[in-house]
Amino acid sequence: MTTHITSVGTGRFGKRPEGLVDLAAEAAQRALDGIGRKPIDLLVAGTMLAHGPHGSEAFLPRLASRLSLESSSGLRVDSASGTGGMAFHTAVFALESGRFERALVVAAEKMTDRSTAVITRELAASLHPSEVACGATMPALAALVAEQYLQRYQLTTAVLDAASVHARAMAARNINAQFQRPVTAEEVATSRPVALPLRLLHCSPISDGATALVLERGRGAATVLGLGQGLDALRLVDRTDLTSFIATRIAAKRAYESAHLTRKEVDVVEVHDAFSPFGMIHIEDLGICGAGEAPAWFEKGWAGLDGRVPVNPSGGVIGRGHPVAASGLAEVAEVALQLRGEAGMHAVARTPKVGLAHAMSGIGTHNFVTILGREDT
Amino acid sequence: MSVPAETIELARCQVCPARFLPSDGPCPRCGSTESQLYLSPALGRVLAATELVHPAAGWEGPHRLALVELPEAVRLLAIVDGSLPSVDAVVAVRREGEVYRARGEPIDPTR
Repeated sequence: MTTHITSVGTGRFGKRPEGLVDLAAEAAQRALDGIGRKPIDLLVAGTMLAHGPHGSEAFLPRLASRLSLESSSGLRVDSASGTGGMAFHTAVFALESGRFERALVVAAEKMTDRSTAVITRELAASLHPSEVACGATMPALAALVAEQYLQRYQLTTAVLDAASVHARAMAARNINAQFQRPVTAEEVATSRPVALPLRLLHCSPISDGATALVLERGRGAATVLGLGQGLDALRLVDRTDLTSFIATRIAAKRAYESAHLTRKEVDVVEVHDAFSPFGMIHIEDLGICGAGEAPAWFEKGWAGLDGRVPVNPSGGVIGRGHPVAASGLAEVAEVALQLRGEAGMHAVARTPKVGLAHAMSGIGTHNFVTILGREDT
Repeated sequence: MSVPAETIELARCQVCPARFLPSDGPCPRCGSTESQLYLSPALGRVLAATELVHPAAGWEGPHRLALVELPEAVRLLAIVDGSLPSVDAVVAVRREGEVYRARGEPIDPTR
């Protein structure tokens, strides 16, 4: 059974005054507006950090109530920063089971109402407790990954700067991105240290935001061609190589096999670049380029809108913003917009036929790959 | 090279050749729950290290962490006491409760 995305809804990512349910409802309503009055029989909702005043326990029923979807079925998912990817895969599985006809998938996060220290601690909940006990944070472990990557390929931090410059250049074309201003390599290189070699502009920001889309049975301009997931050791010290995420490699292999496609047929990718070295590692793990080749993609413009394979035309997590649970779905939504010809100012130069979205939980602990393709012609 | 007096407890899988840091979980390579503890020299090579300018809540900055490789490719994450060690420096490590600590000053393992 085949499914396809028939509508995408998103709001602006960044610091927003609204609460979690309001943000989710805004994106959801925009997605619903795109399909007229057709009934939704499944709501899949995801969020990671909601608690306390946000009423996380009732996130799905509160959202269903706001959207008058009380007669639908509902599923709530959570896979840390990969929640959006998991929400999308869950909806596909549900429709493919034959039990449902049309699903609304929503992923949202509210983050800017807490201090950076609190958010840092909450995000660290996706790491292994023994590493958190040492005071490890997401940026700290990402810094160790970055250093290993730089060492292995004998690179300088200039490649990290180039990846961030790319992200911000793409985001500047996306009206829904958190950052509307491009940055120079010098600005990145002189931004304040977070966990060296990572500086502030090498890191994704703290963001509010939501993404929604409607998924239906059938084929269209953004048809689901393949899905894959991969898991890896939660404890970073149990991994033998930090310059590659095994979970992405497994997910990509499964997705390519289920789509009956190879990496060479992918025209555009959205990857989960929570930190600038991750974007490079991801395109290598997805097979878009070979091991150690990714820096050239960002330094020579091969990842640009008119490049060999455009990478993160939305601005990615670093440029678009990172409301953690929403990012994985925003990546799928961006690929759908590109395929449907609705990407506007950030549309890739050559009309794509196949696009790939990648989402990641924690430090590559549970990764999701989604391949979409045009099947309307 | 003489074996230092300090040792650290590691785990040896009883099913596959894996050596790993002791934990409540199974062997990270094969999933077996049968493992045996053994003592290893408490010296390791720094693979990567970082300094958190703004550490997580509850920690004082700057907070330094190192990824250290022990003999037989066992890795651990250690809090660094002292200055940030350079990559490939050999450092002494020890366990303190639930965490590991590394001395920031490199030592000469041949002495």
